[in-house]
Amino acid sequence: MNSDRLSSLFWFALGVGSIYGSVRLGLGTTGEPGSGFMPFAAGAFICAMALFVFLQSFQGGQHRLSALWPGGHWRRPLAVGVLTLAYIVVLETLGFSLTGFLLLAIIMRGLEKLSWKKTLIISILTLAVSYVVFKVFLKATLPPGILGF
Amino acid sequence: MDFFANMITGFSVALEPMNLAFCFIGVFVGTLIGVLPGIGPVGTMAILLPITYGIPPTTAIIMLSGIYYGAQYGGSTTSILVGIPGEAASVITTIDGYQMALQGRAGPALGIAAFGSFIAGTIGIVGLQLLAPPLVALALRFGPPEYFSLMILGLVILTYLAQKAMGKALMMAGVGILLGTVGLDTMTGVPRFTWNIPELLDGVGIAPLAMGLFGISEILLNVERKIKHEIVTTELKHLLPSRKDWGESIGPILRSSVVGFFLGILPGGGAVLSSFVTYGMEKRLSKTPEQFGKGAIAGVAAPEAANNAAAQGAFIPLLTLGIPANVVMGMLLGALMIHNIVPGPMMIKDHPGLFWGVIASMYVGNVMLLVLNLPLIGLWVKLLQVPYSILFPMILFICLLGGYVINNSVFDLYLMLFFGVAGYLMRKFDYEPAPLILAYVLSSLLENALRQSLILSGGSMQIFVTRPISAGCLVLAVVLLASSILPRIRARRKMLVEQAEEAK
Repeated sequence: MNSDRLSSLFWFALGVGSIYGSVRLGLGTTGEPGSGFMPFAAGAFICAMALFVFLQSFQGGQHRLSALWPGGHWRRPLAVGVLTLAYIVVLETLGFSLTGFLLLAIIMRGLEKLSWKKTLIISILTLAVSYVVFKVFLKATLPPGILGF
Repeated sequence: MDFFANMITGFSVALEPMNLAFCFIGVFVGTLIGVLPGIGPVGTMAILLPITYGIPPTTAIIMLSGIYYGAQYGGSTTSILVGIPGEAASVITTIDGYQMALQGRAGPALGIAAFGSFIAGTIGIVGLQLLAPPLVALALRFGPPEYFSLMILGLVILTYLAQKAMGKALMMAGVGILLGTVGLDTMTGVPRFTWNIPELLDGVGIAPLAMGLFGISEILLNVERKIKHEIVTTELKHLLPSRKDWGESIGPILRSSVVGFFLGILPGGGAVLSSFVTYGMEKRLSKTPEQFGKGAIAGVAAPEAANNAAAQGAFIPLLTLGIPANVVMGMLLGALMIHNIVPGPMMIKDHPGLFWGVIASMYVGNVMLLVLNLPLIGLWVKLLQVPYSILFPMILFICLLGGYVINNSVFDLYLMLFFGVAGYLMRKFDYEPAPLILAYVLSSLLENALRQSLILSGGSMQIFVTRPISAGCLVLAVVLLASSILPRIRARRKMLVEQAEEAK
């Protein structure tokens, strides 16, 4: 599958969806444009451009879908994405320092294969500095969680 | 006389200890991320946006501006020493800068980049200071139709420069406008595209959007493969360029400053464009064009001067019209709006301290940058040796912290991750996030201008073409759009004719 053809179909669907939503919001008249007026225009424009990209994709020269991630290049970004998601899910339960430490340590030790010594020093230093900057200087509220800080 | 009175106002603001401190933080962080490849000024400004909630608007803008022009300085260091651009506007500097470093002339290359940046930055600030007031007078005559058409022109120019695939860039602008409409309609109070999620009533926040598209997505893209780079570290003495170096550079610096400044004003233009244009210009003007690409010092001086002057010029449309010329200015606009300050012609009158204070802080910041980048160059070189495997977890963690503290909301983090993944996929599929974010920032301004214009004209679209300034902008936009399609049509026609002749 050609990558441009696939992506243009996605954007076309997005455009159609927003046109549908805009019509439900009410387009109003040109003399008194309603809430749906601008999103309708944007949606129609997205559809038109998606069609343009779709037609262009038949001229060739674009990537094939499989060429976008050669040699398992999707693995590391996926791992980072999943770890980030896990961080967000447990942040308010486990608290900022524990979650942060786990995220940093797992990435550096598990994914990047740094030594334990480096992993520990850098993680703890990063946490300490961010604690001082955000908590002490900016007086931000960070979730304390089960550790209490 | 006004000139001096304004400057006194400005410096009295810029030299307040708090503003001095944040100016320093700004240029320091700017240099830092300019030096580090893989994170640009937009991502950094997005990450630091949460901090600006807690400080006065003037201080916030001083810091954010510092990041922008500081990054133009820092970007050159990486370009010269590593041969990969630390920052988009320094791409062209790698050509001759890295060659100079390989020849053992890294010192003078770094030196001329810093001095050139300083001279150009100063010229840019003077230009900004002189040009802003008359433009404000002009801008006061702008009504909604003029604003609408000017914003359309700005978006078209931005996508035009994204030459790669203009259709895709325009589509991204459409998506940005659509995203900007999420939340309560300011005119009618009707919720739009909120999916019954209360957090979305205020719209998609600029911080999670920008951090996702420019921070998280860049990390995801960069971790695909392990980055390794060779750094030229020998001969970092003799930073001061010789007399001969100066002789070859001063002309290009001065010319590129002026050209860069005006290209910076252009909506959609900015630092990247100016560095390319002036490099080409100096190569053509040079008596020894064959030296370009082989370590010509003018090839370092010209683009580095241009990108700094352009960084100053880009402030003009934002400060006078309230319209951001590029994505970085869009971020500044976002920061101002967080503080309920609407930039535009009235700002100079309503917030003179902010307006002149920010300009004066740029003088101060430029001096700081010269000090940071010459005597302390060794520090930045050390920093370049920190591997990405250590840097990116830290950047990721800071993004996650910053994204949370704005509203103390986990929802913002989900939003940020969503846009991070979206941005990653967009880049994979060759869609640029820059037009999206600029259009997003402009969305509500654009919608208001459109609605007001239509109410003004009683529903007639003619209002956009009967008013001269508005018509001029739209004609220019159409010409640009047509010119991007025309060569293709011409090429296609030629191909068809050739095929037809072959068939005979």
